[in-house]
Amino acid sequence: MKIKSILIANRGEIAIRIIRTAKKMGISSFVIKTAKEPNAWYLEEADKIIDFSECSNDTPEFLDIERIIYHAKDQKVDAIHPGYGFLAENPDFARRCKDENIVFIGPSHDAIYRMGNKTIAKELAKKNKVPLLEGSTGTVSDPEQARQIANKVGYPVILKAVAGGGGRGMRVVEKEKDIERMFNLAANEAEKAFNNPAVFIEKFVREPRHIEFQILGDKHGNVVHLGERECSIQRKHQKLLEESPSPALDPALRKKMGDAAIRIAKSVNYYSAGTVEFLLDDQNNFSFMEMNTRIQVEHPVTEMVTGIDLIEQMIKIAEGQKLSFTQKDIKMNGWAIEWRINAEDVQSGFSPSLGTIEKISWPKSDHIRVDTGVRDGSVITPYYDSMIAKLIIHAETREKALQQSSIAIRKFWIKGTKTTLAFCRAVLQNRNFRKGKFNTSFLSKELKIHYQQEPDEELLAAFFAAYDYAREVQEHEDKPLYVEKSKEITPWLLNKRLR
Amino acid sequence: MAREAKKKKSTKLIALSSANKAYEFNKPLEKSIKYQGKKVDIKLREDPNGFSYIVWKNKKYMLDVIEKNQNRYTIMVNGVWHSFTVETPISLKRRRFLEHQGVTSSVVSIEAPMPGKIIDILVEDGSEVKEGESIIILEAMKMQNEISSHVTGVVKSISVKKNDSVMKDDVLIDIQKG
Repeated sequence: MKIKSILIANRGEIAIRIIRTAKKMGISSFVIKTAKEPNAWYLEEADKIIDFSECSNDTPEFLDIERIIYHAKDQKVDAIHPGYGFLAENPDFARRCKDENIVFIGPSHDAIYRMGNKTIAKELAKKNKVPLLEGSTGTVSDPEQARQIANKVGYPVILKAVAGGGGRGMRVVEKEKDIERMFNLAANEAEKAFNNPAVFIEKFVREPRHIEFQILGDKHGNVVHLGERECSIQRKHQKLLEESPSPALDPALRKKMGDAAIRIAKSVNYYSAGTVEFLLDDQNNFSFMEMNTRIQVEHPVTEMVTGIDLIEQMIKIAEGQKLSFTQKDIKMNGWAIEWRINAEDVQSGFSPSLGTIEKISWPKSDHIRVDTGVRDGSVITPYYDSMIAKLIIHAETREKALQQSSIAIRKFWIKGTKTTLAFCRAVLQNRNFRKGKFNTSFLSKELKIHYQQEPDEELLAAFFAAYDYAREVQEHEDKPLYVEKSKEITPWLLNKRLR
Repeated sequence: MAREAKKKKSTKLIALSSANKAYEFNKPLEKSIKYQGKKVDIKLREDPNGFSYIVWKNKKYMLDVIEKNQNRYTIMVNGVWHSFTVETPISLKRRRFLEHQGVTSSVVSIEAPMPGKIIDILVEDGSEVKEGESIIILEAMKMQNEISSHVTGVVKSISVKKNDSVMKDDVLIDIQKG
């Protein structure tokens, strides 16, 4: 079935990214307009806008399954692309699309469901001989059971709250003598934090790397991998930059991990684009973490090194087409790095920095790709994530990619909001990062200062503050200062007077 | 022109950083600063797209005013922000004076560094104490410890009496700093 129109159930840069490929393929695109971002750029890029801004539903627009389905049918669109986040990994949404004869551009609802359930996913991994962290099957009921499992898998182990998240209800146990105490601590903490004392136990990997494999599968049982992405540079499980390939992998390990990823995908008859995430320890032992059944934020690095348009593949697969290439056709060419530029205040613990992007500009070149949903005047709202843009650099080698990253980041200018650009520069200056020697503890242990700054910058900032102030004083002195009861008194003038 | 005349009249301003570092600029509108004892021109530029920057030692420093509220500024240079208050010599003097006043009006609590028993109180309400002066004897772990004041001032209130038992961090004496 040929797809002629797509409703994109998403916003921002990923909506624009999908529209770009749709245009290339001669497919018309529909997007959803919300009251939260009535002037967003993605709206202008689409062929047609479906207006949700009048809707006074409690369900956020991009999560409103029935409304989206209704409009898709009303507009007679052939297919829906969910992008990432929102409904992308909601099996009910995929099923509803199927029920209504709308093509869901993604995997089957069954694959989404099975990979979304941690217990089922782990069982599938085990059944398919994919290494995974040893530990309890299900929850651990008492300290004695914890002790038995820990002795079997070997220390250190980690106790995790089943209902957990955000590091609470988690305890690393180094020695057997601590297991009882730690079990009680973890269970108590889990009880307090989540109202559920259930914990499970797992082998603890010290300072692992986070490596993920891009998968493509069609509806005819063909599955290939498109190499890995190195995603170890994270803060509180939020990725800050990604690269492909990873400095940690050689062809043999790549093949081993890639094959494991394919086995996982095949175990659920996976089709469309997907990502299998692994932890890699310092001895190059990998273990399965989870599978993301959607397009990822960091997909561009894979596109740059393989030359394959993943969104195009997703659409073709959804149409029922066979993959036009096999594993041996896929070559990784050069090195790509994606820098996430977020509206965040790195100097205040990466807190979101809302506001208007007054101006944004970046250098243009063949090896630079920028995926963004903002332009001059765009607003960073509290409703969605803080991502401003993804700066993707592609070069022949990692060294060159880093070099060109340095130049491009220096010429990436954003006016109006605080950004993570100075963080990117700090990472680039770190020696171990440059050597490719890092893991998920990079931010907490290795990078002491999270932003890069030069000696005279404070002086120049001080000068500019004084200069701007002097200029304002002068402008106001050119006007009549203040008259009794004048309404022209500005607060700053009043302030000056009070002084 | 009157405007030109006024430009020349521009006076000294001080940008005070959040770490209390004072940057003095004699005539900021003339775009020159004193740097390592020498007068250096500041090349303040704006590119066609509206980005402001300073050329300094042959390098570009991108500028952005992130926040501006009366004399309080947050300026971003190459993506790193710095906060200042811009003061005139007079306002700075007053500010420093007020800060000093602020300090004198504040009350500092002397707390028990460990649990124990009050053996003796060496001061009374209204006593003047100097920094480092012993004010209380606290018995803990069978040893008598002299608790001294870490500020200079006047005893405002005494919260314990002889033979009281105290816990760690209990307030013993409040001192009005001076």
